[in-house]
Amino acid sequence: MVMADLGKLNVEEPPPIWGSRSVDCFEKLEQIGEGTYGQVYMAKEIKTGEIVALKKIRMDNEREGFPITAIREIKILKKLHHENVIQLKEIVTSPGRDRDDQGKPDNNKYKGGIYMVFDYMDHDLTGLADRPGLRFTVPQIKCYMKQLLTGLHYCHVNQVLHRDIKGSNLLIDNEGNLKLADFGLARSFSHDHAGNLTNRVITLWYRPPELLLGATKYGPAIDMWSVGCIFAELLHAKPILPGKNEHEQLNKIFELCGSPDENIWPGVSKMPWYNNFKPARPLKRRVREFFRHFDRHALELLEKMLVLDPSQRISAKDALDAEYFWTDPLPCDPKSLPTYESSHEFQTKKKRQQQRQNEEAAKRQKLQHPQQQHSRLPPLQHGGQSHAAPHWPAGPNHPNNNALPQVPAGPSHHFYGNGKPRGPPAPNRYPPSGNQSGGYNQNRGGYSSGSYPPQGRGAPYVAGPRRPSGGGAYGVGPPNYTQGGQYGGSGSSGRGQNPMGGNRNQQYGWQQ
Amino acid sequence: MLTAAGDDELLDPVVGPEPPTETATPRVLTIISHVMEKLVARNEWLAKQTKGFGKSLEAFHGVRAPSISIAKYLERIYKYTKCSPSCLVVGYVYIDRLAHKYPGSLVVSLNVHRLLVTCVMIASKILDDVHYNNEFYARVGGVSNADLNKMELELLFLLDFRVTVSFRVFESYCFHLEKETLQNGDDVSSLKDNRPMQESL
Repeated sequence: MVMADLGKLNVEEPPPIWGSRSVDCFEKLEQIGEGTYGQVYMAKEIKTGEIVALKKIRMDNEREGFPITAIREIKILKKLHHENVIQLKEIVTSPGRDRDDQGKPDNNKYKGGIYMVFDYMDHDLTGLADRPGLRFTVPQIKCYMKQLLTGLHYCHVNQVLHRDIKGSNLLIDNEGNLKLADFGLARSFSHDHAGNLTNRVITLWYRPPELLLGATKYGPAIDMWSVGCIFAELLHAKPILPGKNEHEQLNKIFELCGSPDENIWPGVSKMPWYNNFKPARPLKRRVREFFRHFDRHALELLEKMLVLDPSQRISAKDALDAEYFWTDPLPCDPKSLPTYESSHEFQTKKKRQQQRQNEEAAKRQKLQHPQQQHSRLPPLQHGGQSHAAPHWPAGPNHPNNNALPQVPAGPSHHFYGNGKPRGPPAPNRYPPSGNQSGGYNQNRGGYSSGSYPPQGRGAPYVAGPRRPSGGGAYGVGPPNYTQGGQYGGSGSSGRGQNPMGGNRNQQYGWQQ
Repeated sequence: MLTAAGDDELLDPVVGPEPPTETATPRVLTIISHVMEKLVARNEWLAKQTKGFGKSLEAFHGVRAPSISIAKYLERIYKYTKCSPSCLVVGYVYIDRLAHKYPGSLVVSLNVHRLLVTCVMIASKILDDVHYNNEFYARVGGVSNADLNKMELELLFLLDFRVTVSFRVFESYCFHLEKETLQNGDDVSSLKDNRPMQESL
């Protein structure tokens, strides 16, 4: 099953049409996303009628030229071809509006725009998980996890680290297929020449302890930590390690996984920031205790993912062989999953957002509670700030700058890399003026804002009554899938219970 | 254009607080300059025979050839941008990839400078965590920011975004460059550094 993927690396160049077609080959249907990277549109290829997502590469910073993140993303996606990795179909350009000396339209791509053309995907995992009234079944969670691990294994075998695995970067289409997206932070690695990589990657909540302790030599294990966090989040129905800053993030990790020492993690005491961050007193590992309501096999797998020492953390390949995926109920066939309504009414949504923001703002003024404490939105990571900041000034009037989630749980047509800055600009640790001097180029360019928190997962999760998810996860009540769930109505992100719906447990076998 | 008037006078770019120090010219720079000069000389001859140098590299053509030598130009780029020497090798790999992909288009004296500055800049973007931006490279290279951006994009598309150079390929290019100079018994004996090239990178 796993091995079948190995041969898929496409070393052949695709036909030489890259960049030669104009964006006019597509009819833009509507804007479905907006972020620091520019806009994302749903579009139809005129000739074939195929629906795609067009992601515009932001090129307005003349001094920087073509964004390095875009170069990286394109060169990496060009060599990855897998059903669980978003496919970059081609790059198209739009002719500039300028005219040349003879008054003819200046048909060159440099003055127009560059668009990346992707498979169109209806949802992302975060948005889907937060739809009111929706709960994933066990076979469904297994199905998503299996696809996530299969895609990631493929990346790792091809020596690509994703470096930003999180729910909003896992896109899901209406056929239940999950694809890894947003490779703006990804990079190639080699086993023999690893080293000197930046540790300012991965959205905080999903960032592994070795990066938080300052490691600059790391490998695929960093992505596996993120996978563990997502896995637990799916079962637990909320993010498990929502730290507000690096220090708190590490503390949360240590509280859950115990404090590291030379016995369980040889070499940890020599990590660059170990002495700054080591806990005052030793802490016991409490993963089993915290997640005792999880199924035995799920817990067993999670334990192997949330291992502090990266060298002992389970690999994607081994995780795919875990009992969890091979015991009843088996992962279901993606095609058997229900389809969820997806809305592409960017405008409507924006209006709705605005309305919500106004309400929230009013509420906030009353409460005198300027910063939300329990948002599900992870803070920014460092890297994204330089380019991102100018586009999202911390001014009070910016529609996307509200300190409260703007988008109600629901339609999650997050597009490729649609990490809209829907969250607060996070703890004000990063000054809004991130202008870089001297041309030093930080890791994340302006066009892809994956470092931003995922789209609002409904209201801040207040410590309200949450339905214990794990115990019931094994199908106490088959969940329902509210097809036309009112997204946007209530601010509640609680996943309602609903006794309807069928058991989705299907015979496993959708993938060789 | 190497300066708007086609004049190739290169001014000192305004640089940061520390003026560039007289860094020793790395051996690889000398070797690459040498190889490029030979390539250009051969292609000039070819172009004369065939009366043309192809269309693919049009975006890099200047009105006339700059008078600054390839060696001096590369030195200038290296000195001001402080790019790592590996960027020069990788830049050379890009030029070689172009030459193979578009055999009908020749690297000649009209385009070699612009090709070099664009290639080295992209290589530095890919390789060096700390690197200067396009604006600075434009000033160093004596081209306008807009032109350099244009050429950057053109090069990326010409290369089909194949801008990764694996360690193995890198190493083989080092060997190749080394061999090239040895075989021809060219006058690079003046080089003080006798270590194998990739060790000094």
